[in-house]
Amino acid sequence: MRGTLLYIGQRLVLIAITTVLVSSIVFVLLHQIPGNAFLNETRTSPESLAADLRHYGLDKPLGTQYVNWVSGVLHGNLGESLVNRGVMITPLLVREASVSATVGFFALLVTVGLGLILGVIAALRQNTWADYVASSAAVVGYSVPSFVIGIFFLLIFGHYFFEWTQGTVFYNVGWGDWTQIPVPAIALGLPYASYVARLTRASMLETIRTDYVRTAWAKGLKARIVVLRHALRNALIPVVTILGPLITGIITGSVVIENIFGIPGLGKEFVTSILARDYNIVIGVFTFYAALVGLANLTVDVIYPALDPRIRY
Amino acid sequence: MTAVDGISFEIDRGEIVGIVGESGSGKTMTALSLLRLIPEPGRITGGRILYGEKDIAQMTDEEIREFRGNEVAMIFQDPMTSLNPVLRVGFQVEEAMAAHARFTRQQSRDRVLPMLQRVRIPAAKERVRDYPHQFSGGMRQRAMIAMGVSNEPSLLIADEPTTALDVTVQASIIELLRDLSRELRASVILITHNMALVASLCNRVIVMYAGRIVEEGPTRAIFKNPQHPYTWSLLRSMPRVDEVEKERLISIKGLPPDLGRMPPGCKFHPRCKFKVDRCLTEEPPLGEVDPGQLARCWVLMKNIQNPEAEAQR
Ligand SMILES: Nc1ncnc2c1ncn2[C@@H]1O[C@H](COP(=O)(O)OP(=O)(O)OP(=O)(O)O)[C@@H](O)[C@H]1O
Ligand code: SF4
Ligand SMILES: [Mg+2]
Repeated sequence: MRGTLLYIGQRLVLIAITTVLVSSIVFVLLHQIPGNAFLNETRTSPESLAADLRHYGLDKPLGTQYVNWVSGVLHGNLGESLVNRGVMITPLLVREASVSATVGFFALLVTVGLGLILGVIAALRQNTWADYVASSAAVVGYSVPSFVIGIFFLLIFGHYFFEWTQGTVFYNVGWGDWTQIPVPAIALGLPYASYVARLTRASMLETIRTDYVRTAWAKGLKARIVVLRHALRNALIPVVTILGPLITGIITGSVVIENIFGIPGLGKEFVTSILARDYNIVIGVFTFYAALVGLANLTVDVIYPALDPRIRY
Repeated sequence: MTAVDGISFEIDRGEIVGIVGESGSGKTMTALSLLRLIPEPGRITGGRILYGEKDIAQMTDEEIREFRGNEVAMIFQDPMTSLNPVLRVGFQVEEAMAAHARFTRQQSRDRVLPMLQRVRIPAAKERVRDYPHQFSGGMRQRAMIAMGVSNEPSLLIADEPTTALDVTVQASIIELLRDLSRELRASVILITHNMALVASLCNRVIVMYAGRIVEEGPTRAIFKNPQHPYTWSLLRSMPRVDEVEKERLISIKGLPPDLGRMPPGCKFHPRCKFKVDRCLTEEPPLGEVDPGQLARCWVLMKNIQNPEAEAQR
């Protein structure tokens, strides 16, 4: 237990370092881009530009700006929006991150739930029609990127459903109602569900042939117990190892999905702020993403030993 | 392809019967078919598998489940892979009892520690909650034995229980098996390559070749007065006491027949020095060659008054 806490502590420090490092790179790169948020056709006087630059500390040398920025980050302050003066970035992104996390969480449920069920069925019914259907569905799901599925879903649920049910059942883009969660969550999770299904199938096929599963049958355990407790429990171990990269994939995928479905999360902010050249927010979004990916992977690594007692920290 | 064919033998309560024979002679298959656990794509084709009055081939799934581990329990060759790595050893023993109606849930739980003590696992109390990887090979095999005898089965099948173990612990595992079978009045089928072990432990011996019983009889008779040519060569290849003990020293000129290209007539004839014409075309039945001793060989049949009647067996 103490070992685990120590391990978590070390990992948190590493995540903090990585996060600062990632956003530092973004910081440096963004400052190489010519132009800034204040340079647009509506601005006329060079005096007001100078005032803006002074307000945001952009008139100081890059080194000083960087030091100020890092000390802000370490205090949890990501600064102020360049476009909307007075809007503080940290609370804004925290709010948006919670929206993204909700969609991401349900997408993960779809991914893992659907993936496990299909994978287990395919493995248990190996080389039957159920296996072929599940496996082909997995190949299709895996080869179609989530933005294609997203647009496709939008068409089906937002348009055709409306017509078929004569306006009673339909999906409305946006956010705020729980009924708006499933469609984008499934669109986001489906490609990864196929991935989980394929991995689960392969992993289950391996475990159901092991000696300890034969032992479980020989003990006279019920089929359900042999499959779930003995075969699946062990088959899950390799599946959990890909959960880290999978969550990262869902986070990147969410950028596209949030924009398609008009969900006010980090991904939407990301695109909006880049288009508006609100670089402070862009850096802030990167900082959040870096921290999120790190924390997601840490969570997976903490779950891992609970599943496989041979691993200890 | 038929791997195992027409095996039939009797075993008295409390008796230890040894099954010997080269690799691939069908010893494991015979044992597994008693539990209807033939690995895919194997099948039980035609005929019956009788255990006492019960036809195992005809049992419903629930009947065979209740039978496995309860009336007939099996201990496998490799204790390193036969225990589930992610479940606690104590739990795996408990689960074997909980699966059957013999003990209540509470009784199953209470019996775990006594069972582990009974198989002489040192400091059993502290080790109930250990995982298999924390156990040595010998201790794992003891845990497997605890699992096997926990339901007080009438028959315990031990398939090469010591082959995978250190020579130093082999003797103590065998001693344990013998003591337990006495205490529980359980019959034991011991599958092994070790003729010395058979000589010291078994009441009766079954010699298998190419999926058939070729000789069967009391241990004394088999060792003092082997009848079948295959048994002769098997005994001749046995390591002598003054030699360094090695388990798999059995080597006989020629190879056991390939399942796909089983010779006609007596399956042993390609390697037999005594073959007569009839051996090439007709398979000999298992006939009594001495009181209580059976052998499958034409040359030995000559001494029998009525081979046709014996052939009915
Ligand atoms: N999984 C399998 N698939 C196909 N054939 C198999 C399988 N397992 C065993 N066999 C075949 O069945 C026959 C009997 O094998 P079995 O394992 O019963 O032999 P054995 O006497 O137990 O040998 P060993 O001493 O090596 O354990 C062999 O000819 C083997 O090739
Ligand atoms: S039947 Fe013939 S070939 Fe077979 S063991 Fe006897 S003598 Fe040899
Ligand atoms: Mg075997």
